[in-house]
Amino acid sequence: MRNLADAGIRFYLILVLVFLYLPILVMAVLAFNKSPLYALPFEFDLVWFKALAENDRLLKAGLNSVLIALANTVIATSLGTMAAVAFGRYTFRGKTMMQALLFPPIAIPWLVIGTAMLVFFFWIGRAMGYPGIARGLHAILLGHVALSLPYVIFVVGARLNDYPKALEEAAATLGATPWQVFRRVSVPILAPGVVAAALFAFAVSFDQFVISYFLAPPGVTTLPVEIYTSIRKGFTPEINAISTIIILVSMGLMLIVARFYRFGGERSGNE
Amino acid sequence: MSEVAVKGAVKHYGTVAALDGVDLTFADGEFFGLLGPSGSGKTTLLRAIAGFIELDRGEIRIDGTDISRIPVHERNIGMVFQNYALFPHMNVAENIAFGLDVRGVAQAEIKQRVGESLDLVRLSGLEQRRPRQLSGGQQQRVALARALVTRPQVLLLDEPLSALDKHLRQEMQVELRRIQRQIGITTIFVTHDQEEALTLSDRVAIFNKGQVVQAGSPRAVYERPVDRFAAGFLGEANFLEGRVSGIAGGVARVALGTGGEVLTPAADLQAGDAVLIALRPEKISIDPAPADAAAMPNRILGKVVAAIFSGSSLTYRIAVGDRIIIVFEQNKSRAPLPEQSAVILEWPTADNVVVQP
Amino acid sequence: MTPTTRTRWAILSLTGPAYLWLACTIFLPIAAMLALSFLDKSPLVPKPASFTLANYGAFFGKPFYWSLTRWSIELGLWVTLFSFLIGYPAAYALAKRVKGRWREAIFLLIVLPFWSNALVRIFSWTMVLRSNGIIDLGVQSIFPGAPTVDLLFTYPAVVIGLVHSYLPYMILTCYIALQAIDDSLIEAGRSLGASKFTTFRRVVLPLSLPGIISGAALIFVPVIGSFMEPRILGGTKGATLGMNIEEQFTVTANWPLGAALSFILLAIVLVIFGILYPFLRKQGGAA
Repeated sequence: MRNLADAGIRFYLILVLVFLYLPILVMAVLAFNKSPLYALPFEFDLVWFKALAENDRLLKAGLNSVLIALANTVIATSLGTMAAVAFGRYTFRGKTMMQALLFPPIAIPWLVIGTAMLVFFFWIGRAMGYPGIARGLHAILLGHVALSLPYVIFVVGARLNDYPKALEEAAATLGATPWQVFRRVSVPILAPGVVAAALFAFAVSFDQFVISYFLAPPGVTTLPVEIYTSIRKGFTPEINAISTIIILVSMGLMLIVARFYRFGGERSGNE
Repeated sequence: MSEVAVKGAVKHYGTVAALDGVDLTFADGEFFGLLGPSGSGKTTLLRAIAGFIELDRGEIRIDGTDISRIPVHERNIGMVFQNYALFPHMNVAENIAFGLDVRGVAQAEIKQRVGESLDLVRLSGLEQRRPRQLSGGQQQRVALARALVTRPQVLLLDEPLSALDKHLRQEMQVELRRIQRQIGITTIFVTHDQEEALTLSDRVAIFNKGQVVQAGSPRAVYERPVDRFAAGFLGEANFLEGRVSGIAGGVARVALGTGGEVLTPAADLQAGDAVLIALRPEKISIDPAPADAAAMPNRILGKVVAAIFSGSSLTYRIAVGDRIIIVFEQNKSRAPLPEQSAVILEWPTADNVVVQP
Repeated sequence: MTPTTRTRWAILSLTGPAYLWLACTIFLPIAAMLALSFLDKSPLVPKPASFTLANYGAFFGKPFYWSLTRWSIELGLWVTLFSFLIGYPAAYALAKRVKGRWREAIFLLIVLPFWSNALVRIFSWTMVLRSNGIIDLGVQSIFPGAPTVDLLFTYPAVVIGLVHSYLPYMILTCYIALQAIDDSLIEAGRSLGASKFTTFRRVVLPLSLPGIISGAALIFVPVIGSFMEPRILGGTKGATLGMNIEEQFTVTANWPLGAALSFILLAIVLVIFGILYPFLRKQGGAA
């Protein structure tokens, strides 16, 4: 009797997985289907991927997305790692409050954050005499970094937690100067966490829609925003193709994070 | 191999005094144990000597030189941490070599000294292993080898054996002592396990609330505790309260509050003084009370409440008046005295130790 | 420099840049939006603006906005409910009935889509739900001649899409909470005479409550603020407060009204977090 119930609930789990992946698979399959209206029968063809290569708007938007994501990764990872190190290695008054302040960017609906940024940047721009700078790739970058920071701080912080201060103290007692401690102990140990955080930051930026939507001026967009406007205007099958590519990229990145974080990082020997 | 002198060490955290005026001298080559409950200041002192904590007042000198301005990495100490703190991204050889590496020692010499270190702790052959592949005892030895390879002046151990199980701990205690004797390095170690402190140390210091309660050889501190805390912290003690009723021939007679009388070396006592006496359970001999038993000084009557067998010894709980006296008896294969039976307890005068309350 | 001053400098220089960034991009903008909600003219208009409560008045005065809010909250509740009904058993299965390698793998699989592009995922549902989509074709092949199944641009479509998007949140939080429940607690309950179901009801469920509540909070909040999903899957049906706010900023260019509505949305969110905070804190302790 036990085994039946167990098998039943495991089967349920599979059903849930099917639910989660069904639409994605359908879309991926249709991306390779020749018919522009997803009519069956299925005929394998790369026509939509070829059309994608010609679609300047989508390509430009894609390039913007990648560039912003890269910039976001560098900035957010640096700033976030520094803050995480401060939280992990020091105790000070106000630390709990500062850590609490990391929640608003994730807890507040992106709609509110996006519109608030638009308003604020617009006012600043108008005060400076360039109301136009409220929107643009730079504004989008500002927003993406803000959203990525809490994740970076959390991931790096978790890694730091696994490695107690004693390691750095031990290195000091062995004669290593603070710089030597940093270079030979702190950095190698922190590295897997920082890499994971960087990949996270890239994914957060690359997939971000709402903030980009409000801060994108006409003519300059990121990939998700471009896809959205295309959907609203009317379906073109290239959207299927680009969407499939995006999904594969994002999920691929996350897989790397998971494997790297799990198996790449050394755990301290005393457990 | 150096002498470490601590004078007037004071350290406050907010209103709490972690160290409240500590004076200690650690002689060259000595194995010195710092003992006390959590928060008593022993770890604070150790970390101050290491350089992680800056004292509010007082000084620390190694061979006469004041080291308080010297940063940690220039102090030439060796330290073993409670959880060993082995670098997880390096193998055993690299871990041990680290101290030599950062000092710029030549590769050939490093290799040789690492090998010697591993021989010393009896772990030769494990150079390529990673810390996570080692057992607790092995990790501990690597940590020790790493700390010693740089030939420091002082070795500091922060509860080095607390993470090991009982048998391993006893084995490591012997190893630790052997290695220390072989090298002759001044060693200061912190522990809350009083048995460990007694077996390993040349001298111990008992800490309580940031102060040193008593310092001396294990035997001296155990047999002649200076106050109730010291007596109660090391091993077990029965405490008897009474008043001096008379002094004659260097011996004071003390009338106990619970009735009965004990004798104790007079020292500075005066008639009428209130005294607290500590009596170790193993000093008392216990026998069935003869029918005509009469109380005499250092000899009282009681009733067995419980007899607890723990292998090599027998612990008796004896009711004397309204209190319980504990008696330890070595297991010499005598049948335990039955519960509720009347017994007579006897012990020598010299074992009554007057302690500060 | 004393060590303490050095430490203070270190802390300041390490946390300063990140928090300065957050101040300029999150906290100051929100303050700015609060200010804007009290103005009567959009900043796009070159005339000077004056203080007014009319924007908030519009919200509280017009029944339209009340309905909108009610619909949004309703949508939030539906999505949260279904996410719980679907997600909790899955989390339970994963936490208690799957072990070892499989557990890691399945956990990864569940969390993975969650990290891909939300827009694309919603879009993929249009393929499935529309007429001639997979569901329609599936029904046709089993019951030929049945009427076309076109679920696109319906309220259920919006719910399905949102549940699909946010389900992993619920599974994640419930999994963490369930996994923290020691098996020995369940064994203790059984040994004291409770049936399997009773043990579940009186031991497992209450102990996993913080996980359920955190999942609910994580889902409810973004859903009531959503506009992209209702637009793509629901068209004009399933109007939400989020959609209206978006319109104020893009179509009608009535920024002050949009700001006021945004703030009301934010207020609702804060109230929810306020109510749920004790449960969330417990979850944080358990995790």
